[in-house]
Amino acid sequence: MESWKYQPARDLNLPPVQRWRSVWREDGLVEAAVHGAWWSSVSLYLKTIHRLAVEGREHLPAAPPFVMAGNHSSHLDAMVLAAALPARLRRSVLPVAAGDYFFEAPAMAAFAAFALNALPLWRKRAGHHAMEELRKRLLDERCAYILFPEGTRSRTGEIGQFKAGLGMIVAGTDVPVVPCHIAGANDAWPPDRNRPKLHRVGVRIGPPLRFADAPNSRDGWERVATETESAVRALAAGHVVT
Amino acid sequence: MTAETERRLFDPRDAFDHPVTAGVVVAIAAVLVLATVLTVVLRRTGKIGDKLHRELIDRIRSWAIMAPVIIGPILLGAAWVIGALLVLTILCYREFARATGLFRERLVSVVVAAGIIALAFATFDNWYGLFTTVPPLTVGLIAATSILKDQPSGYLQRVALGAFAFLVIGGGLLHLAYFANDRDFRPILAWLLVTVQMNDVFAFISGKTFGRRKLAPNTSPNKTLGGALGALALTTTLVAVLGHFVFRGSPLDDPVHLIVLGLIVSVGGQLGDLMLSSVKRDVGIKDMAATIPGHGGFLDRANSLLLASPAVFHYVRYLRGIAEGQEARIITG
Repeated sequence: MESWKYQPARDLNLPPVQRWRSVWREDGLVEAAVHGAWWSSVSLYLKTIHRLAVEGREHLPAAPPFVMAGNHSSHLDAMVLAAALPARLRRSVLPVAAGDYFFEAPAMAAFAAFALNALPLWRKRAGHHAMEELRKRLLDERCAYILFPEGTRSRTGEIGQFKAGLGMIVAGTDVPVVPCHIAGANDAWPPDRNRPKLHRVGVRIGPPLRFADAPNSRDGWERVATETESAVRALAAGHVVT
Repeated sequence: MTAETERRLFDPRDAFDHPVTAGVVVAIAAVLVLATVLTVVLRRTGKIGDKLHRELIDRIRSWAIMAPVIIGPILLGAAWVIGALLVLTILCYREFARATGLFRERLVSVVVAAGIIALAFATFDNWYGLFTTVPPLTVGLIAATSILKDQPSGYLQRVALGAFAFLVIGGGLLHLAYFANDRDFRPILAWLLVTVQMNDVFAFISGKTFGRRKLAPNTSPNKTLGGALGALALTTTLVAVLGHFVFRGSPLDDPVHLIVLGLIVSVGGQLGDLMLSSVKRDVGIKDMAATIPGHGGFLDRANSLLLASPAVFHYVRYLRGIAEGQEARIITG
């Protein structure tokens, strides 16, 4: 007879605040219910207030793991990409969020962990080691990430240069990267405003890119970044919402 | 709902009516004050070093928070007791599920949580029939819903872990809650909680004083036979003496029954402790969680109650009755 295999939660021995900040945070029933409620309300909000229009849903993978990579110019972006997913996939999605913004203050960290189900990425420490952790979790657990490879919100709405970090997560794996272009979010909630205003928002989802043959080294990482950036830029062509 | 029921559930006016309740509250407060004074005096006279002083102050402080949280609901009313124990049961299940990996089986967790809530409802309603019906149905439901995954590999593990967690944690703690339906719930609960806690203290002190032979070295290397026997003798005495005042005038107020009750509390408490140690050893972890600084998780604190509560409950119920003369089926009518 084979003996039982126990797999304790990977964040078992972390005190509460550290647990919220952990890349290895695992959810129970309560957290799952809170995420569900949060994302359903966000989705409803985007559809009614911002008339969210989703194109290219057929390009979404049927199951995790995958990474949604998009342009970033607003706090609405992560919500838009999550809302574009069917509820079945939304359950396993983890937005990767700036640690210094979302995880410093304990109250904010609780919100990021409980409502957003976000994982922290400290921008000052966003090196190979941090990316390696994210890569391990993605492959181990077969979850999905929402990621903005520009690393920050564009102040003008123009797409900035994609950083190699995305490559460190997916290069050499068969995890598909789904390029997404978000339009209108910068007008609806620009970085210099405290709250959103009435404006339409749209998202275009492109066919997934695969980087199984890209080496897990500087060359491969840059290839991933460049190709994903061009795919997002191609989607941007003619994508306007008014 | 009769006025008497409402008073039992929500009214703290009778909190100190029974001498045992009042005595226990005064004793806890006195011990906390005395311990603080003693620690300060020992530090001032240079009898203890900085490190030990810090450690003792930390312990006293965490008890100064835990004691009111535990005793508070008992003084406030029966509804508070049931509510607090429902929350504690859910938190303890959560720790168990996260430690064993059972939390990844969402459906099992949903059924266990529903079973726990149903048991707490039966308790609040004072509907003993439902209270005895929920456990077998919940275990059946765990076995049934686990089929839905259509994944026989690991079936027994998820069903057994779910059933164990529900019966031992839910059953254990909610039997304690059912005492809240008794007219004398305050002295009974104060008596049981204090003696179970003192059982741990007695085992620790006797173990330090005359513990040599290990009790169960593979399960819990620090426990000794001396500690276990010392606790057995001291706890039984305390249970019997206090129990005489709690159960005065009932068939339980008899030396033999009081001593048996004492043995149940002491043996049940120590076995509960060893049971959780076995679970932790088997899974390969040290503490169930890191929720209470210096104490681990809720289950690390509540473990002694899990086996003792149902055993005490049924002994008392068989000989004296529980909730006799109280309004039954308060909500369901």
